[in-house]
Amino acid sequence: MAVSTVVSKRIKRKAPRAFLRRTFKQKKPHLRLETACDLLIHLNCLLFVHRLAEESRTNACENKSRVIKKDHVLTAAKVILKKSRG
Amino acid sequence: YKAGLSHYMKLFSFYSKMPVEKKALEMVEKCLDKYFQHLCNDLEAFSAHAGRKTVKLEDLELLLRRQGLVTDHVSLHVLVERHLPLEYRQLLIPCAFSGNSVSPAQ
Repeated sequence: MAVSTVVSKRIKRKAPRAFLRRTFKQKKPHLRLETACDLLIHLNCLLFVHRLAEESRTNACENKSRVIKKDHVLTAAKVILKKSRG
Repeated sequence: YKAGLSHYMKLFSFYSKMPVEKKALEMVEKCLDKYFQHLCNDLEAFSAHAGRKTVKLEDLELLLRRQGLVTDHVSLHVLVERHLPLEYRQLLIPCAFSGNSVSPAQ
């Protein structure tokens, strides 16, 4: 079983702003982003990831599993993607 | 593009506080891909509704409100303070500086 056990103690808090702008431009070439909007997109992604992680953790706990497996993420994703519709 | 997503995958394994399988991480990547697609479509719809070609901060706030993240009890500024580091907070929350100026300009 391939498990990535690396839980990094320190993570970068910096937002990948250029990446966010680039992806947005790729998807919607005709739209412009205001100056600080990419930061709020980053915040949005952060909260999405947070919710996804919490949900999949509770799923894993319910199944009495010590590691998060693919199915846990899948069921969590269904719920959270539905919640984060605009 | 994939390199940028890996940042959020790292965040996932940080927030989950549990070991994560490799396959599960791939799943997370797929989710993020889909999520970005939805995000861009929503932003396009919001700005088109307002008759703009620029995505403004209001659109993002509306999106957060629709997602149930910003509520009457939890405002946007609270979320920014909780999750973003100081240098970004200064860019987002109005803050008075010397010389009778407020940044960012409203």
